[in-house]
Amino acid sequence: MTATIDPFAAPAAASGVRFLYALNPLAKFAAIIPPSLALVFVRDTTTPLVFLALAYALLLVGARATRQVLATLLLALPAATLVLGCGFAAWTDAGQVDTTPLVLQIGEWRLFSGALVIGFATALRLMAILALALAAGFTTSGADLARSLVQQLRVPYRIGYTALAAFRFVPRFAHELDVIRQAHRVRGSHGGRGPFAAIARWGGYIVPLLAGAIRHAERVALAMDARAFGAHPDRTERHLVPFRIRDVVFVLAFWTVSAVILIVVRPWTGA
Amino acid sequence: MPAASADRDAASAAFGVDAPLLQVEDLSITHEGATRPSPSSVSFRIDPGEVVLLLGPSGSGKSTLALALNGLIPHDVPAEVTGRVRAGHLDTRDASVAQLSTQAAMVFQDPDAQLVTGTLLDEVAFGPENLRLPVEEVLRRAEDALRRVGLWDRRHENPDRLSGGGRQRLAIAAALAMGSPLLVLDEPTANLDPRGIEEVYATLAELVAAGDRAILLIEHNLDAAVPLIDRVVVLDAAGAVVADGSADDVLRTRAEELHDLGVWLPTCTLAALRLRAAGYRMEPLPLSPAELHAALEAQQAPASATPAARPGARPTGLREPIVQVRSLTLRRGRSEILHDVSLSIAEGSFVAIVGANGAGKTSLLQAIAGVVVPPRGTVTVAGIDVGRADARTLPARIGFVFQNPEHQFIAHTVADEIAHGLRRQRLADDEVRRRTDELLGRFGLAERAHAHPFLLSGGQKRRLSVGTALVAGAPVLALDEPTFGQDRARADELLALLAELNAAGTTVLVVTHDMQLVTEYADHVVVVHEGRVAASGRTADVFADTALIERAGLRPPPLQRALAHLEGHPTLDGVVRLADLP
Repeated sequence: MTATIDPFAAPAAASGVRFLYALNPLAKFAAIIPPSLALVFVRDTTTPLVFLALAYALLLVGARATRQVLATLLLALPAATLVLGCGFAAWTDAGQVDTTPLVLQIGEWRLFSGALVIGFATALRLMAILALALAAGFTTSGADLARSLVQQLRVPYRIGYTALAAFRFVPRFAHELDVIRQAHRVRGSHGGRGPFAAIARWGGYIVPLLAGAIRHAERVALAMDARAFGAHPDRTERHLVPFRIRDVVFVLAFWTVSAVILIVVRPWTGA
Repeated sequence: MPAASADRDAASAAFGVDAPLLQVEDLSITHEGATRPSPSSVSFRIDPGEVVLLLGPSGSGKSTLALALNGLIPHDVPAEVTGRVRAGHLDTRDASVAQLSTQAAMVFQDPDAQLVTGTLLDEVAFGPENLRLPVEEVLRRAEDALRRVGLWDRRHENPDRLSGGGRQRLAIAAALAMGSPLLVLDEPTANLDPRGIEEVYATLAELVAAGDRAILLIEHNLDAAVPLIDRVVVLDAAGAVVADGSADDVLRTRAEELHDLGVWLPTCTLAALRLRAAGYRMEPLPLSPAELHAALEAQQAPASATPAARPGARPTGLREPIVQVRSLTLRRGRSEILHDVSLSIAEGSFVAIVGANGAGKTSLLQAIAGVVVPPRGTVTVAGIDVGRADARTLPARIGFVFQNPEHQFIAHTVADEIAHGLRRQRLADDEVRRRTDELLGRFGLAERAHAHPFLLSGGQKRRLSVGTALVAGAPVLALDEPTFGQDRARADELLALLAELNAAGTTVLVVTHDMQLVTEYADHVVVVHEGRVAASGRTADVFADTALIERAGLRPPPLQRALAHLEGHPTLDGVVRLADLP
């Protein structure tokens, strides 16, 4: 329970080099979207490694080295890369790579080095995209993202702020699901082992969870209306999230760096 | 209170002479699918600075009326409305909910369902921001409102870090920031523990003392509310106004009539009615512990007064213990939540387990019922070791009822819900059918046997959850906070059912914050404090140790406060339950 992320918590004002906090949330997401899309289409291992390094550099310089950031960068991402890489390698069709050296053979099952390359290239691509998203995500509060969506992208504030209010539901529903599972266990509705029993069991949790969720959402909606939510086409903004010159500079600089990486590494020229 | 009324005169002068804040005229509201309106043809008014308590039995439409006062009915909740409500200069039919929010601000029962932002300051600013007030005015109002509820110093924190009472004070601040001259509070303390209730009433008392806002309060905890109020409006079961007058006039002179209507009264007023019937002089009728105490001090006991037979005098000690806990230590994660607890509960008793939040009382109940598996050999229920019991034998010894009955429903019909427990006992089909029908009849659910459990009424759901816990023949029933967040009428209905089961021989264990429930129904109380059993004994004996009660973060029940240190009334000495009065 202690590890729940607070989507409202404002990243404390950080000075100097920790520049990511001072950027507009939209600028950060605009910067990472083109390289993330490009990463979907590359097949080599070099490109994702370079972007991974870029994302790590961005986070280590531009974000405060909190325990959460360090644990993600140094433990979670490497571990995920290892697990996914091996998983994808095992999954790769051995027939396509049987010209490459054999690494491991267990009975009929053979693992070629070509499969490992494909597996880790895929895992690295996913991790590079995730790391870029984290560079934006770790340094942006949910509230600021909602505000900039409303202020710059002209998303109707009724949608932006309602979505933000919905974050409050998450820990509440997690707790409620725990209680429901406990209650069903006490009633003895295990129904046996195996995937079908598990599906039936989770199906049994959904009705009480939804019934509670709908009632809660109705109450929240009444409480928000009673406080004049949606009264006017716009509302007072105490926190402006401006889009400044430095945001433009950051986006253009990031795009340029990404383009240079792609031009130098040339992942699409059949290397 | 001459000073306060002078303030209010000044306030009413500021708002314009004789302009009511709220005028309800011949208002009837029929919910979709309902056959008759409730409330029905209601008329009353609220003047600037007045504190009005709205009373009425369950089903009289109090909450519906509250929703109509700021236009949520009919604008958000569809319902057929006749008559009209004027809030300030606005008619609720024509004005939007947003416009009306500046005339009547709402505080609801569940504090968690009213919070939408990430810090206390943002939360209080949310309403004024929606009204497009300038930033300086938003901040001025937010600061003023947070200071008035004592939360300004914590303005940058996440509301999740507040206690229940703190979150409800925040909801009051958010309502204050709307700038409306009227606050409507619908059962604001029903989801709070005793400490939270005290906090909220301390805040409300300060609002009332300032005198700048009128308040309409719907509340079942009259012991806390009555000292604050000027006027009482009472609805009857059909939703019509039967009384509207000063608190003195209505509560003191018409208490018996209201009691017969099913309206809640302060505990001490109920006690005084009973004492009056026994020959005591109770004029004027006391409304608070202090008044009852003074009335009794001023007289001798009438010659006819004899103490009622005390059910607590039943020889509980001689009966066999049905639940035994020996040196139970329970951990959750790295922390130890119960330390070396030993406890013995006699067969047929009605036991309340009480304690402050986080004291470990729910963990103790869960370990006894096997919801959390206790270490082997530490808990014995009806002759079996709960730590070793399998999933089939345990339900035949002890049934567990969760706070929200919906959480434990697993079947698609009411009958299957009951039959599930019997089938798990591997009984023959016709035996299952026979016992299901019998239990459905006993719990008044026979007509709904084929309905989906979620389509039952609130009271029926609760009866079904108790029925499913008992169907396997368990002699012990354990309930976790069964009255939390419920209105008084539904709580009373459940307790009547529990009392009936208890009279028929079922041992009942209840974890609760509700001191009135404890004192009226439980013959035995277990006080849990910081993971240990601080006291266990007959209800009156446990509450006699006021120092212990205070130390455990509890509050003595109102009747005990009234009767403590009373000279010349030996028959009332140590009485904590209404049922024990002469």
